[in-house]
Amino acid sequence: MATSVQAAASPTRQPRSFPLAPIVSLGIPTLVLVLFFVLPIVLIGIYSFYSINPDSGLMQRDFTWANYERALTSEIYRNIFLRTLGIAALATGIALLLAYPIGYFIGAVAPGRWQGPLLLMVLIPFWTSYIIRTYAWIGILQSNGFLDSALGWIPFLPTDLLYTRSAVIIGFVHVYLPIMILPIYASARNLDKRYIEAAYDLGATPLKAFLRVVLPLTMPGIVAGIVLFFIPTFGSFVTPQLLGGTRDVMMGNIIDNQFGEAFNWPFGAALSIVMTLVVIVAMTLFFRFADVEDIYGR
Amino acid sequence: MPESDVSIRKLYKRFGNLVAVDHIDLEVPRGAFVTFLGPSGCGKTTTLRMIGGFEHPDSGQILIKGEDMGNRPPHRRDTSMVFQNYALFPHMSVADNIGFGLRERKVPKHEIRERVRRMLELVELPDRGDRKPRQLSGGQQQRVALARSLVIEPTVLLLDEPLGALDLKLRKQMQIELKRIQQQVGITFIYVTHDQEEAITMSDRIVVMNNGRVEQEGDAEEIFERPRTRFVAEFMGAQNILDADVTDRDGSSTRIRIGQREMTLPQALPGTTRHAALVVRPEKVRMDYPDGWKGTVTERVYKGATMSYLIQLEDGTIVTAEVAHDDPEHRHDIGDEMTIGFRPEDIVVIPDDGKGA
Repeated sequence: MATSVQAAASPTRQPRSFPLAPIVSLGIPTLVLVLFFVLPIVLIGIYSFYSINPDSGLMQRDFTWANYERALTSEIYRNIFLRTLGIAALATGIALLLAYPIGYFIGAVAPGRWQGPLLLMVLIPFWTSYIIRTYAWIGILQSNGFLDSALGWIPFLPTDLLYTRSAVIIGFVHVYLPIMILPIYASARNLDKRYIEAAYDLGATPLKAFLRVVLPLTMPGIVAGIVLFFIPTFGSFVTPQLLGGTRDVMMGNIIDNQFGEAFNWPFGAALSIVMTLVVIVAMTLFFRFADVEDIYGR
Repeated sequence: MPESDVSIRKLYKRFGNLVAVDHIDLEVPRGAFVTFLGPSGCGKTTTLRMIGGFEHPDSGQILIKGEDMGNRPPHRRDTSMVFQNYALFPHMSVADNIGFGLRERKVPKHEIRERVRRMLELVELPDRGDRKPRQLSGGQQQRVALARSLVIEPTVLLLDEPLGALDLKLRKQMQIELKRIQQQVGITFIYVTHDQEEAITMSDRIVVMNNGRVEQEGDAEEIFERPRTRFVAEFMGAQNILDADVTDRDGSSTRIRIGQREMTLPQALPGTTRHAALVVRPEKVRMDYPDGWKGTVTERVYKGATMSYLIQLEDGTIVTAEVAHDDPEHRHDIGDEMTIGFRPEDIVVIPDDGKGA
């Protein structure tokens, strides 16, 4: 009797003597986050108040709101900002129409043993470099490329898509589709089939059962998918640069340009901060609107 | 025979190599509380799900009010199911859950409100309508699930082990409640359970199932007092099932042997059966019976009103006997030897069905 009590108590006593585990398990992630996430943002924040020395063209320490003033009042940047928002929203909407059926099918319709392989098929392209996949689209979309030579004979089908808005949208949808499918798949998989049976049982047609039961119950996955897709699309600069034309320039390209060719880090930093704040505010509003908590809630 | 709400004809269903339901025939009378009783895997839930339209039979027919259901989907059947874990829609309030079926039927809003209110009263949950299901206790969720199914006034209500998740005390309470509600609304209930006590408490008719077949069908008393197969006797908790050999027979009586002794039963056994199982209730076992089987008391259990004795016969058979705990004539200690006997009229004879002995 006595020995069994001792045996039960000893594992809880041990860690107290030398608390290495909590230091390692909390300390390292904290260090990584501070070094690679908090510090860069703080630096960008500081830069955004610096100015450019008009004589030397170099960045100099300062405290000025001029960069923000320029970012927020200039009509050029406002238009590019609205265009960025529009492109990202359209790509997100199209991706959702594709991702939902795929995610739902894998999670809730396909037999269990097929879920793994199907999910793998979704993920494999994701392991290929973003840049390489985007370059691949150049070959497909360019005039007399794969798309034109394979499907060019179909009347009314648009050809010569490269360097158009469509190419940018196609590029975004393809590149980020997997990260939208995953949360939808997860919520579909967690959906208890008895809710659907109960809806049928109470007289709902399949369409009504979907609209009134399946859709609301998979909403957390949809919301997560939209957020995960929208944020990288909104800030992207590679896709519009490689696939888009001059009228498809997005905020990401402008910021990229300010840090690169224009060598105006303070203005690029101010634009970055504005974009980050916009995303934070938009997502907060979106979460409140979608009211995910209310579905499963505490 | 009263009119049937549900008729099942030669119903057959297989999952892979497993025969879940093996040619069942059944009539469910209108307004009855019918229970499918059996161990897990006996086909009771599959049968219920086929009636609801969630599974489709491989062959055979299900008729509801005389109409063949074929492969008609659940939303076009006049049945409603109370699921094992209730399946209440978590994103809807209690009132919206109950009103779900009415909304699908395009009932006007004010009428939905009124009918939902009446249902909440029936299940004794008034003013809980605006809660979410997760804010209710298990028993309350159970009542909401019941109300949600009842409000659409189905011909048949199907209940799939609906009390399984509740604790014992709540179960007992809900059994009585369910019976009251069934009598009040007068709808046919088909109830699935593996708990024989639950079946006995509530049912007008019990259908005992095993291996996809119906073992016996009848009212609670019939099933409990006169089991027709060894399986039914065992499942209904018979404590004394004794193996007997048939030694002699004529048209009106049968001579049987248990252990070292024989006795004559005043009934003819069917066919040429050589073995039989005898079911004797513990309180019908006579202790200190003159000219009976010799046995030794191996255990004595005080059960409040009664005293229960385990008695081992000479051939090793254990018999349970129960007497009033304060009966001075039959008081024995462990190790005591005595004789026990049975009156022929207290014995239920089960001709050997080839499954026992």
